[in-house]
Amino acid sequence: MKMELAIETKNLVKIYGKGSSSIKALDGISMNVPKASTFGLFGPNGSGKTTLISILIGLLLPTSGDAKVLGFDAVRESIEIRRRVGLLPEGFGFYDHMTALENLIFLATLEHIPKDQRKSRALEALEKVGLKDRANDKVSTFSRGMKQRLGIAQALLKDPELLIFDEPTVGIDPDGAAEFRNLVRMMNKEGKTILMSTHLLYEVGMVCTHAAMIRGGSILAQGSVEDLYKSVREARGYRYEIRIKPGGEIPLQDIRSISGVTEIIRSENRVTVVSMKEIGNELLSLVARPPFKELVESLTPIEPSWEEIYRFYQGGG
Amino acid sequence: MMSDAFSIARKEFVDAVTGKRLWLVAGIFLLFSIASTYSTSFGFMMGIQQATRQMVQIASAIASTTAYMAPLLGIALAFDAVSGERERGTLRLLLSRPIYREDVINGKIISALAVISLTMAMSSLASVSVSILLHNVAVTLDDTARICVFVAFSIILSFAYYALSLFISTFSSKSSHSLIISIGIWIFFAFILPIISSLVAFIVLGSPPARAITVFNMTQRQQFGNFTFPRESEEYLNYRKRVAEISSTVESFSINYHYTQITSSLFGFVTGPLEFGQRGRATASISTVLSTRIADIVILIVFPMVFLFASYMVFTKRQEK
Repeated sequence: MKMELAIETKNLVKIYGKGSSSIKALDGISMNVPKASTFGLFGPNGSGKTTLISILIGLLLPTSGDAKVLGFDAVRESIEIRRRVGLLPEGFGFYDHMTALENLIFLATLEHIPKDQRKSRALEALEKVGLKDRANDKVSTFSRGMKQRLGIAQALLKDPELLIFDEPTVGIDPDGAAEFRNLVRMMNKEGKTILMSTHLLYEVGMVCTHAAMIRGGSILAQGSVEDLYKSVREARGYRYEIRIKPGGEIPLQDIRSISGVTEIIRSENRVTVVSMKEIGNELLSLVARPPFKELVESLTPIEPSWEEIYRFYQGGG
Repeated sequence: MMSDAFSIARKEFVDAVTGKRLWLVAGIFLLFSIASTYSTSFGFMMGIQQATRQMVQIASAIASTTAYMAPLLGIALAFDAVSGERERGTLRLLLSRPIYREDVINGKIISALAVISLTMAMSSLASVSVSILLHNVAVTLDDTARICVFVAFSIILSFAYYALSLFISTFSSKSSHSLIISIGIWIFFAFILPIISSLVAFIVLGSPPARAITVFNMTQRQQFGNFTFPRESEEYLNYRKRVAEISSTVESFSINYHYTQITSSLFGFVTGPLEFGQRGRATASISTVLSTRIADIVILIVFPMVFLFASYMVFTKRQEK
């Protein structure tokens, strides 16, 4: 069955400037964001994430290539896209002299939300981000973290089917970032598609179901988080850690006899097993039998870290 | 959609009338206007100025102040209209709504037109009211009509500077840059160009001829109060006329000049070298003023339109990352 896509780009190119001073910000980006996924767009600063997002919602025109968002063309139907997408832009700001509620009501007006619903929708959005009790305070009194939450609230105003967050956790404290991630998980459970750009690797692993890695305007890798893990695992080997009770000694030759095992590393009360293929089930049945049963405390697969994954794809996979 | 432009205009209008900046400019404007009316009424008391058509003379004094203050009002409203939104990041928030870029700039223009009209009308009304109350000046229907026409042209002058400053703001990355450039242009048009125009005239015509005061007798003098004034020679008067012509040609590059020409005709005083006692002489009818000053009027109207169009083009074509 063909996967339904919320965002689809084909060979997107964006060049800023002309002649010798031109800069290629996007170099043939083809990216697929499945519906109802939480898609992490990961890349270092200046890799082209914001440019890509700006093209998706029609703030920038691509030099060449195609982009479709929720089935609408990003160049010709950007208004339709912005009608359906909640965006938290990078480096956004609010009208400081207005209250949080006034800001949201003004933005709700521009979202064409019926007049009688604007206030209730604004309060609802403020409640979702935990700012309802500060609704009537001027934005100038808000901390950076609170402004970021207010930014998320404005993106939620129209209850969009697709949310795009550009560097959403920049400048907010760890608690605020954790709250944000919970909010993302909750919205994803409600069936919303979320595209979030970040330069923080751990964020991708914590909330995303899918991811793309971008560098120098090109996609290094993309797919479901599981697939991205799988490729790295296959390349560097599947790793498992067996924890042994203090003073215990397990027969390593039994592990070595499992087909695919290439390396066994012993250190104090830990044994790391490296295999060319998935041997989780074989190891499980092994440690359930004596003498392993009495000596083994735990058996856990060692997943590649996101840094490892990034380095892997950066090196060309 | 026009309704989006009006939504933005409504917010902008409220921001302007509740903000300090507008009241500061309007306050200074009012202060200078009232001071100039006092100066004129002092002239009446001392007998230096003729006591006829006092309201027209007071209005002409207000017009002199307006020629300097109306541009400042326009600049105050426009210098950060776009660059400020860009600096604060609110432009990104606005443009991520389902609205066209045109709506943003249209909203700002509609709001500015309303704020400028209101401020100019209120300030002029306040200055005239103060004059009536403090100096016991009589106001005729013709005076009222002239003041209304004057307010209309003052709104256009202020709006011309708004359009110019808006244009600068659309491509400036910083509001401070936009403010400096706008104020620089205002200073150039209001203060530097008149000096340059005189310099050009002196360079072209060379040194003035000797004033060559003619023999002093009763038929060749103008008498005013207890003073007597000699008349200059024809050659000297011709020289001065040529200086005025060349200066006018150079100054005609300034929008302020065209505004001053209209208000001068409207209130019957000249802006060039004054013949003593010329203020307060009989004024031409409003229709005559409008017909004789049609070129100035057209330039005054076309100037803001050109810059509004340029702002519109720059803003709508520009891509915001």
